[in-house]
Amino acid sequence: MAVRMLALVSDCYGIGGGIARYNQDLFEGLAASGADIVVLPRHGNLAGVALPRGIRQEPAIFSRLRYPLAALWLAWRKGPFDVVFCGHAYMAPIAWAVARLSRARYWLQTHGAEIWKTRPVLLRHAIEAADLVTTVSRGTRHSLLGWVDLPPDRVRVLPDTVQDKFVPGPVPEGLRERMALGAGPILLTVGRLSAGERYKGHEEVFAALPELRKRFPTLVHLVAGSGDDRAHMERRARELAGPDVVRFLGFVPEEELLDLYRLADLYVMPSTEEGFGIVYLEAAGCGLRVVGGIGGGSADAVPNEKVGVLVDPSDEAALIAAIVDQLGRGRVDPAAVEPYRRNHFTEAARRLLVRLVARGR
Amino acid sequence: MCGIAGLYAYLDVAPPVDRAELARMNARMAPRGPDGSGDWFSADGRVGFTHRRLAIIDLSERGAQPMHSADGSLTITFNGEIYNYKELKAGLEAKGHRFRSESDTEVLLQLYADRGPSMVEALRGMFAFGLWDSRTRQLLLARDPLGIKPLYYADDGWTFRFASQAKALLAGGAVSRDPDPAGIVGFHLLGSVPEPFTVWRGIRSVPSGATVIVDAAGPNAPQVYYSVAQSLGRRTGNGMKAEAARQQMSAAVHDSVRHHLVADVPVAVFLSAGLDSGALLGTMAELGVRDTLAVTLSFAEFRGDRHDEAPIAAEVAQRYGARHVVRTVDRAEFERDLPAILDAMDLPTIDGINTWFVAKAAREAGIKVALSGLGADECFGGYPSFKDVPRSVHLLRPFRFIPGLGGLVRRLMSSTIASGARLHPKSAGVLQYGGDWAGAYLLRRSVYMPWELDHLLDPALVEEGLRRLAPLSHIANELQAGRPLGDFDRVAALETSLYMRNQLLRDADWAGMANSIEIRVPYVDPFFLAALPPGDVLAQIKAKEAVADVPLPPLPDVSRNRAKTGFVTPVGRWMREASGANEEVSFSNASRAWALRVWRAGWTGSAAA
Repeated sequence: MAVRMLALVSDCYGIGGGIARYNQDLFEGLAASGADIVVLPRHGNLAGVALPRGIRQEPAIFSRLRYPLAALWLAWRKGPFDVVFCGHAYMAPIAWAVARLSRARYWLQTHGAEIWKTRPVLLRHAIEAADLVTTVSRGTRHSLLGWVDLPPDRVRVLPDTVQDKFVPGPVPEGLRERMALGAGPILLTVGRLSAGERYKGHEEVFAALPELRKRFPTLVHLVAGSGDDRAHMERRARELAGPDVVRFLGFVPEEELLDLYRLADLYVMPSTEEGFGIVYLEAAGCGLRVVGGIGGGSADAVPNEKVGVLVDPSDEAALIAAIVDQLGRGRVDPAAVEPYRRNHFTEAARRLLVRLVARGR
Repeated sequence: MCGIAGLYAYLDVAPPVDRAELARMNARMAPRGPDGSGDWFSADGRVGFTHRRLAIIDLSERGAQPMHSADGSLTITFNGEIYNYKELKAGLEAKGHRFRSESDTEVLLQLYADRGPSMVEALRGMFAFGLWDSRTRQLLLARDPLGIKPLYYADDGWTFRFASQAKALLAGGAVSRDPDPAGIVGFHLLGSVPEPFTVWRGIRSVPSGATVIVDAAGPNAPQVYYSVAQSLGRRTGNGMKAEAARQQMSAAVHDSVRHHLVADVPVAVFLSAGLDSGALLGTMAELGVRDTLAVTLSFAEFRGDRHDEAPIAAEVAQRYGARHVVRTVDRAEFERDLPAILDAMDLPTIDGINTWFVAKAAREAGIKVALSGLGADECFGGYPSFKDVPRSVHLLRPFRFIPGLGGLVRRLMSSTIASGARLHPKSAGVLQYGGDWAGAYLLRRSVYMPWELDHLLDPALVEEGLRRLAPLSHIANELQAGRPLGDFDRVAALETSLYMRNQLLRDADWAGMANSIEIRVPYVDPFFLAALPPGDVLAQIKAKEAVADVPLPPLPDVSRNRAKTGFVTPVGRWMREASGANEEVSFSNASRAWALRVWRAGWTGSAAA
């Protein structure tokens, strides 16, 4: 008989973002293995979205008051469920209660910063009650086990997966000329420009550019992404790197992003607080070497020299040396990204579900 | 008896195992196996085993490890001895299995092929092993029922690592040294780190009497296959006549000693002036072992006085025809060896010094294997706790029902003691803790009590550690027998599962193996414990004294008389002086000072281990 799962998540279908993408990948993998999944999101509009077989999504409920009631109602009305899945640590108390009341196993998914530090006692208890906790990176698992009292075997790592489309391919003819990028080399950074996310390390890269331009006079830095911090970043780029070295591209749709990955020579984002850093692997999937930042979960997306290197962004000399070194190493071997592909992710998720269901209630 | 370690990169995204890391782990365990070293890596690079060999059974290269099954599908790295391997081998041969060596290691491989992970239940011995099954792609870790052989593991979520020593895992370089408050608090409370905790958050012990299966989704929860309390609770024969009980006890000791003599090298004995080791030597002689080497530790400070154990041990050795080696230790040697002792000490402990020196003496005498009387006090009721703990519980239980009384009295008494009253600081907790089994045991065995820890450690660490360790629940768990236990068996279960396991056996391992000595413990054997009469009967026949009559001829009267006067070593004084404590105080107070000295040697953080 198929495993029935009630998924209480912030985002899933009908909305963008990393957590929504992760949940979709996970549920599609589990549904492909025969699971029957009912999703109750906080956000998302399903209009025009075709859901894969085995997955149903209820209308989103944002209200903090109505959401728990809807979850309970759903558990009762559409149950019984074998598993209650919780897609964000902040929703753990609700998921815990729903799982216990419906006598289901309780699977908590965590992503990063939300559990890097000690949290209130109720949240801690709600996390400690989980039958299975999955984290996207080893670093996040380590942080979590530092302040919650969970048997380590119950906290498993399920890394993000790279979409199949992120593969090496030809650069559209004339793109380099249309963008007036010159001879290069081309450094690329993709990410939201948010004042709350300056840990991504844009400014540290800008500061390194003058020195890099001494070695590579035609080097340019492309920055893809929009956000409330764009004006600040543009000003800092001018101050630190001079005019016309950094090109701000604004929001770039995913299909065009592929072209950029295939066009550029190096992905540079010395971020210190990525929950995982899927963007590193998307770049690497397209063949682009990566310079990432030490900290957070990045070590799991850039695990070895086959993909790239991690540096401390505050060490400018190290950052420059890493960029110069990586530029000299050519493209990434696709085999280095293969373990992050969807088939591996799906199999790993299926194994975890099998193990969870094998646990007594 | 050896050192083992292994790596398993179980998640697809994990890089292949790092050979250099495994080599560093192997090197850290070099003293555990001076006779050989071997590595094995799976063809896909996802699994690697290493092994340091101290050759005891089948000394040939056919006994070398890691060892593979004939079809290559199974690979094992094994530390320990299987005493019933010949019986198991005969049974497997009768079922058609064919063997290529005389080693007990090969029996493990074939027994696994025959029974799967449940094979551990058939093993009589001390063991810790990692076994890779390439067909199921599962790693099985197993540890003996009573925890004689250590086995530690670390899991970072991608790669699983295991080793005979926690410090070997650290030496590999990939395991975090972040402190574990539960283990640190446990050490300060009890003088040893209670398993499964270590003082490093990333490292745990495989529980005694448990297996851990690691598959492509990572390690599963440990599966316990043996419980001391349940085993003691299953013993039958209450109401047995004293003579029959003595005979049963004697038969059990004889059977255990006979099993513990299986070896292709000579087996020696650590001989004190006490009854337990003397009974082992006497039983060996009775079983026909001739010319046994007996090693006795003597302290220069006691030479010629009533505390010197050597003269009595010499008389026992002479009675049973043993060659007697007396090794004298003095304080200067203790101080010379202290850095090496702290380096070899795998987890912090307040004991193990005696074992270090007797193992060192054994190595100097050319010995590889020695029997020890360790464990006799736990099974025969030799500790004061067998009287003190039940008396405390029965006397003080009524006070538990007066809410807040125990805590109030403790606070008042603590203030009085702090202002100079000549009472042991732990005595303040008698009313609060003494009325239930876990509390009374903690009070009896503790080095420091929970309320004292804030003065020694960071209060936040203490709070976190006490929460994670939950010391009283931790102790009470060892009494879960599924049926009511008598007073004797309750204390036996606690002493065996806690003090013996976490303190004595762990100390015997690091102190013995650092000197390349295999210490065998015939009184620490589940088959032996099961063959003894129930605890109440052992109490009635005064088993601790009756052990003198186990061998024929029995131990001399001088041993019996000495046993009643107790034993003293100067180690407590050395420890106290080495730890900088000035006042002339009891051994208990010396332990408190020594515990701090050991802890301050540095264990966690970047500079440790």
